[in-house]
Amino acid sequence: MGNASFIAVAFEVVLLTGALVTILVGVVAGRNRSVWGPLVGMFFLLSAVAGLWQWLEVQADGGGLYFSTQNLPIMRSPMVVMDGFSSFAAVILGLVGFVAFLGSWDLQVRLGKRAVEFSSLMLLGVAGLHMMAATPNLVVVFIGLETASIAFYVLAGFTRTVHGSDEAALKYFLLGSLASAMFLYGVALTFAATGSLSLYGENSILNFLSSHIVSQPGILLAGMSLMLVGLMFKISAAPFHQWAPDVYQGAPNAALGLLVAGVKIAGFAAIARIFVEGMASQIDTWAPIVAVIATISMIVGVVMALVQDDIKRLLAYSGVSHAGYILTAIVAGSGGYSAMWFYLATYAFMVVGAFTVVSMVSGPGSSATSIDSLKGLGKRNPEAAWLMAVLMLGMAGIPFFTGFVGKVLAFTSAANADYVWLVVIGVVTTVIGLAYYLRVILTMFSSDEGVELATLDVSMSARFAVIIGATVTVVFGVVPWPLLDVVRNALPL
Amino acid sequence: MTDLLWLVIAIPLAMATINILIGRRLGEPLSGILATVAVGVSFVLAAIPAVDFIAGTGEPVTIRLFTWIPTMGVEAELLWDPLSMLLTLIVTGVGALIHLYSIGYMHGDERFPRFFSFLNLFIGSMLILVLAANYAIMFIGWELVGLCSYLLISFWFTKPTAAAAGKKAFIVNRIGDWGFLIALMLLFASFGTFDFGVIFATAPAVLSVGMATAITLMLFAAATGKSAQIPLYVWLPDAMEGPTPVSALIHAATMVAAGVFMMARSAVLFELAPATGVVVAIVGVATALLAAVIAMAQKDIKKVLAYSTISQLGYMVLAIGVGAYSAGIFHMTTHAFFKALLFLGAGSVIHAMAGEQDMPKMGGLRKLLPITFLTMAAAWLAISGIFPFSGFWSKDEILAATFNEGGVFYVLWLVGVVVALLTAFYMTRLMVMTFFGSGRWDEGVEPHESPASMTIPLIVLGLFTVGIGFINTPFRLGFEHFLDPAFQGVAHPEEMSAALIWTLAALTTVVTLGGIAWAWARYRRSELPAESGVWWRRALGGFFVDDFYGDVIVAPSRAAADLAVTTDEKALDGVAYGLGSGVKSLGTTLRPVQSGKVRSYAGVLAIAGIVLIVAMVIIGGGF
Repeated sequence: MGNASFIAVAFEVVLLTGALVTILVGVVAGRNRSVWGPLVGMFFLLSAVAGLWQWLEVQADGGGLYFSTQNLPIMRSPMVVMDGFSSFAAVILGLVGFVAFLGSWDLQVRLGKRAVEFSSLMLLGVAGLHMMAATPNLVVVFIGLETASIAFYVLAGFTRTVHGSDEAALKYFLLGSLASAMFLYGVALTFAATGSLSLYGENSILNFLSSHIVSQPGILLAGMSLMLVGLMFKISAAPFHQWAPDVYQGAPNAALGLLVAGVKIAGFAAIARIFVEGMASQIDTWAPIVAVIATISMIVGVVMALVQDDIKRLLAYSGVSHAGYILTAIVAGSGGYSAMWFYLATYAFMVVGAFTVVSMVSGPGSSATSIDSLKGLGKRNPEAAWLMAVLMLGMAGIPFFTGFVGKVLAFTSAANADYVWLVVIGVVTTVIGLAYYLRVILTMFSSDEGVELATLDVSMSARFAVIIGATVTVVFGVVPWPLLDVVRNALPL
Repeated sequence: MTDLLWLVIAIPLAMATINILIGRRLGEPLSGILATVAVGVSFVLAAIPAVDFIAGTGEPVTIRLFTWIPTMGVEAELLWDPLSMLLTLIVTGVGALIHLYSIGYMHGDERFPRFFSFLNLFIGSMLILVLAANYAIMFIGWELVGLCSYLLISFWFTKPTAAAAGKKAFIVNRIGDWGFLIALMLLFASFGTFDFGVIFATAPAVLSVGMATAITLMLFAAATGKSAQIPLYVWLPDAMEGPTPVSALIHAATMVAAGVFMMARSAVLFELAPATGVVVAIVGVATALLAAVIAMAQKDIKKVLAYSTISQLGYMVLAIGVGAYSAGIFHMTTHAFFKALLFLGAGSVIHAMAGEQDMPKMGGLRKLLPITFLTMAAAWLAISGIFPFSGFWSKDEILAATFNEGGVFYVLWLVGVVVALLTAFYMTRLMVMTFFGSGRWDEGVEPHESPASMTIPLIVLGLFTVGIGFINTPFRLGFEHFLDPAFQGVAHPEEMSAALIWTLAALTTVVTLGGIAWAWARYRRSELPAESGVWWRRALGGFFVDDFYGDVIVAPSRAAADLAVTTDEKALDGVAYGLGSGVKSLGTTLRPVQSGKVRSYAGVLAIAGIVLIVAMVIIGGGF
């Protein structure tokens, strides 16, 4: 692989180029959306193609590669890794970015000239997210985390004139910074304990832990704990989830799809790489704690979602419970990789689709959206209502939808790792969770008096976003094997 | 050419989708014409590769489309051999004619495009069934045709009887499907695959006699549902509530033969289970007899044909039971043509009589509906088994094969001959009451011949009815050998001497002629004989089997269902609602924690982080 080192960063290169080009084009043709709009979509698709290229290289090579910076002796450790993990994440992130961009088109229209900045921030954010999945170096994980987070803080507050959006952005920023700081402190403590920042290479954490018996593991344990807190915050696992409902409620609807789906993909990729791979020798220490976090997430997510009146808060708590379900796959160690990826890949499309429907109903920029505003959607726009129903059934985990397959995989891997009690909690909460997903569907198709019945017109691109989300949900729910074959190969180096 | 075989299935399915989506815009008659063309194209696409088989040079091929369930090794595969070829040609050929006929018959119906959509869906489903290369795919087709049958029987669902008939057909068929499912599980448990090739090649080595008997009995249970045998035949007479072309296509020519086809396909398994063969033969012949007796007394022209179908299916099942698989398939082929013709002819009569189905109110239509009369007469002679019409060859082959088995089968043969007599009787009765004598029409009815779109299919089917028998005469023109590749590994019954065959044929012919003469003498009189005797009434009521089922099965089931509903609403829902409101109140209690204040959130985050560190240190073994 002659220019493999370029392939390894192709995804980031495409997206960062895209972000710069978009801004430059925006200076010239800022109001002319038809010029730069397709450009942004194209860059997202190109990034997915770059991911595909990486994937094919990795599969042909039968493993993966990492790349060191030779001229910085003190940091003499690999910074970039290209393997099944990073390339699969690249494909999914590129596609999710594209669909989320389609879904946010109505907002872009409304934003006018500022839309250029919105789009380039989306591109930047996705690049940062992938960095988290494609590096073995804890500091680079942090850099990716911050790149994505800062972009998303801005996106959350982009419609700051709308009531609540500024509050959401500020909350997200303050709490997110706190979590990032804790993560960074964890990195520092881990470095102090092991003398390494990297998971791979000669002088790696992995090697250190397997060749040394840590007689006084306190520093290492504290470091692991703090990194865990930071990452759990990002994936909104309970009890580190409290920011999520408030931020979701205030942030512009159209930005949320990427914000939720993208961060989960990258966050879980980082958790899997750092803990399941790097701290594999410590699995007996961290796995029980992750299992408890998963339990709290499932229960809190489901219980709180039941009593929400706002669809966005409902989806936020549902996201908390989904974080719990995916964590059951993490608990299983490396046996849960394919479950995690299947769940993440399919959940991402469901989330983007669902938030796009929400933004169709309540407008792309507005904030609070009560569940009642979905009333009569079955009549106002049957297509959107049916697609939303599919997405809700998918999230609920009904057979023949992807959510079911994902849950079965996650629970199976947890059961294989002897966490049967976790599976029991997972199944029980799934059943309870059915209630609020069905509530959304019933609301859409109920025919109460006094409901506005004017036809709801939606833009073509938003329709596409929802159709893609629902199609993925059904197709891979009925025929999951092609995707399963792929995720089985999405392994870390 | 076999590469394109998937199109044979895909085209009708695609057309069904088109008609359901934009059928209204296409309107009448365009939606019907397109649907007919779709089936016609399917026929041509199947006929081109079929030439190889007819020329005797074809080899059976398996066409792999895609992997469906890799973990169970289920491939979406089509099997193209003489048996599936024959069925494909019948389904698409007869199907195309009936589509054409329906354009005239359904004229003016409000849901005209919907009707053709269902018909096309049926053709596609039936083709999935016959072309399947494994039991899993076959089962999909099996269920889909059941669905189509339900949709089409209750097509005029505003009529309560039609809606009820559709439901009845569906439920009764489900009972049979249960057998199919068990057979599928047993097959998978025994072989680890559903694939025909593997199962049939290894069955003699893998299956014990007991297992083979269990599997075949379950398959037969499925066949009694779909092919309307005792005890599950009761849905078929009611199915006549559907439009007449549906009766012709689904409930006479194709779908009801699916059970026979499925058993013929599984011939290797049936060969391994002689006990099943005896059961199948007895049930078949008993069904043939019972249905023939009931048909004798029916007054509704379609009911006569419905019971006649059951009776003829009994013959086919008898053929399977005695191991004469090609004979069964042969009778199925001839029956497909003459019974479709009879139904379409009956439809033409009903059309002419402005919806009247009661035979005592017909009569004297011979001159007014000449084409209908002539074509139906051909079918009449064919089903009665008069030389040289098609039914003669196929029915005699089955009876001869039964006779050849010897022993207890002599009794079955004798019953079969009696059924032949009764068949001649009730068909002659139908023809005489409808076409001869004087008109006993209601006031205001002015019979007229049907439009060309209806008579052309009649004429084409009439030609086939006369000629199709010659593909398999005792002169051995090769039909049996043509089907050989499909029945590899199945022992052929001993050859019979030509003298014996002809003696038996002559005997049945004499009996048949007797039946015709009997009915002719009885109904040719100017006054219809009063059929008021106790046996006539019992036969007219179908020996009240329906009432019996109603009292013994339906009523207790309903009571059980009521009980289940009460239990569910009172007990289970109470628990579920209780749990639900419990969880909900927990959520409401927790709500204030979500205060919205950044400070408190940061506090929670810090506390949770500290708890996590402490837990980690404790689990990890301290500082």
